[in-house]
Amino acid sequence: VSKKGIGLLLFLLFMAVTVSSRLAAAGEQILSDEATACLGCHGRRGIVKKFENGETMAAYVEAATFKASVHNSLGCRGCHPEFSTGIHPSRRFRSKRQYQIRCSLVCRRCHSGNQMRNSHVGEALFQEERQGKPVVCSDCHGSHSIMPTGAKTFKTEEQYCMSCHEHSIIMDFRNGETLSFTVDKPALESSVHNELSCSDCHPGFSPKKHPRRIFGSRRDYAITSSESCRRCHFDKYTRTRASIHYTLISRGDLRPPSCTDCHGFHNISRGSKEKLSIAGKCRRCHQAIYDLYAESIHGRSLFDEHNLDVPVCTDCHVAHEIVNPLTLDYRRRIPEICSNCHSDKTIMAKYGLSTDIRTYVSDFHGNGMYFDGKQRKLLLRPTGPIAVCTDCHGTHTIQKTLDTDTAIIKANLEKRCRQCHDGAINTIPDKWLSHYKPSMKRTPIVFLVKVIYKIFIPVLVIGLLLQIVLHIWHYASNR
Amino acid sequence: MMTEGGLAESIGNHGDTLRRFSNARVAEHLLVMFTVGILVTTGLSQKFYHLDVSRWLILKLGGMDTVKLIHRFAGIVFGATMLFHMVIAVIGIALRKWSPSMMINAKDFSDAVHNIKYYAGAEDLPAVCDRYTYKQKFQYWGILTGGLLMILTGSLLWFPALVTGFLPGEFIPAAKTLHTDEALVIFLFISLWHIYNSIFSPEVFPLDTSIFTGHISMKRMLREHPAELARIEGVGLGEILKERQRDMQETG
Repeated sequence: VSKKGIGLLLFLLFMAVTVSSRLAAAGEQILSDEATACLGCHGRRGIVKKFENGETMAAYVEAATFKASVHNSLGCRGCHPEFSTGIHPSRRFRSKRQYQIRCSLVCRRCHSGNQMRNSHVGEALFQEERQGKPVVCSDCHGSHSIMPTGAKTFKTEEQYCMSCHEHSIIMDFRNGETLSFTVDKPALESSVHNELSCSDCHPGFSPKKHPRRIFGSRRDYAITSSESCRRCHFDKYTRTRASIHYTLISRGDLRPPSCTDCHGFHNISRGSKEKLSIAGKCRRCHQAIYDLYAESIHGRSLFDEHNLDVPVCTDCHVAHEIVNPLTLDYRRRIPEICSNCHSDKTIMAKYGLSTDIRTYVSDFHGNGMYFDGKQRKLLLRPTGPIAVCTDCHGTHTIQKTLDTDTAIIKANLEKRCRQCHDGAINTIPDKWLSHYKPSMKRTPIVFLVKVIYKIFIPVLVIGLLLQIVLHIWHYASNR
Repeated sequence: MMTEGGLAESIGNHGDTLRRFSNARVAEHLLVMFTVGILVTTGLSQKFYHLDVSRWLILKLGGMDTVKLIHRFAGIVFGATMLFHMVIAVIGIALRKWSPSMMINAKDFSDAVHNIKYYAGAEDLPAVCDRYTYKQKFQYWGILTGGLLMILTGSLLWFPALVTGFLPGEFIPAAKTLHTDEALVIFLFISLWHIYNSIFSPEVFPLDTSIFTGHISMKRMLREHPAELARIEGVGLGEILKERQRDMQETG
């Protein structure tokens, strides 16, 4: 045998050992912390339960047997709900039989009557129960050693998963919180994802694999679960990455919403464009802002009149790439955001509002804002502070300017003008063009000046040009 | 000024020039020329800020705020020049040092009509003008009134808060409209009329240098300002006009 042959043999041996040890590790069921804690005592022989009638019963659980049982993933609390690592009530039973009857009631939490009636044995047992003879499941199935039946076949993955998750399964978190892992089957079937199978959203789980995952808290779990969504909705995920919510989460703040907080999970429906429900979703965290919005002209129109022309949260902040509205980039985009609706003639005609966005854009504030971004980028020199729509109109508190109390609006506006223009007098807001084209009725001086120049400039230019042409013609024809 | 060789000889010699403007007037024109140039570029690039060329200029100059600053300080220089000019003119005329030769009179209108007819071929000879032709008066008063309007409205826009203390707020947008429209008028007026008359007109091409050098040729005096020439030479207007006719027939 050559040296090469020995080397190859050693290598193959090494590979075989590695692979087999990995397989062994994968097959072994790791018990939960709680179960390990319980087995600290109950895994030792000698613990005995005494009953009032003098009977005794070993309270010993063989760890290996339980690990191999079909219920190993339920932990101890799954069947002994009164007990946990910290709580160990002392309960008294008259007899061993009474204890067994009580324990069997727990089985029905998951194994419903329907499931049992499907079999002849079950039907017979129920008959007996009706006659007064209690059914004790553990008489036939054992207790900690209940094995998989093996006879059961599942057509789909969903059937397999639902065989447990249709029942009340509780997940414990490290911080003591619990979460029901019961899947609402009708909701799942009517969801937009009803064609998907469980492992599409719960990767790593399958009829063969059910890894035990331990999460710090419910919130922790919700955020981690949302990671699954990007497997299909990568575009939305990418956009979300730019959002203030994602930034906060990545900094360790778990309060901002992840996918499931707005969209739900098993009952997920098509992304709703229904304005009321959108506002309701944001409200869950932004109650104070919701209250302000509800009092604004936009909010009142939506809630009181069910007017769908008005913007809700997502119209200005968008749905996924919700950026921090306090950034300069966002601020610079505000005129554009407002003009999405306010330059739309068909919408604004209903309310008699001006759509002339140029009254802002080509005025001092507007053209300053236009250069602000460019200057920041190219010259690293911003313009001075410049008013955008929200500076005068407010953000979530926007009110009507036309027929509400103009005195209040004027006073507010004056205050706002003074922030930049020292000593601005109340006549400025009073006579400003207020986004309307100059007209004889509203602003006669401006209107007349405009009209005069509209006539004067062409007359002047044409007159001068005619003179020049005549002059050139004179010299050209004389030569 | 006048050589002993007589009128015809002095005019026939094309190298001869007359002193037309003092150094102060030359400096004044240079100041107005530069400040108006700066004001028009920085102002119109704000008015038409969305054009590529405006954007380029504004960013090259260091941003909107810098452009506004340049515009305002050029405005101060322009305004000061204008006011200085007016004060000097009023004092000069009041002290009878200068004759009010820039004043518009009825003859200017008849001169204009006459010259239009002449250019069209309905008259044989051009109008007989004095120190300033009707075209020059038009340019002078155009820039003077326009400039005053710009100074006034510009100040209103510079101090809106102050102004609205005693004027209605509507004056601010009105001043803005007036300032921006009048700027366009001045720009068009200068770029069409003034530039044509002092650069491209066949009478002066390639450049009317009199406002830069302060001197004008005798030939141009004879053709354009015969009445003034007659007064300077101390001869009758008729003699000057005969000389002009001869000169025009010679050169065509």
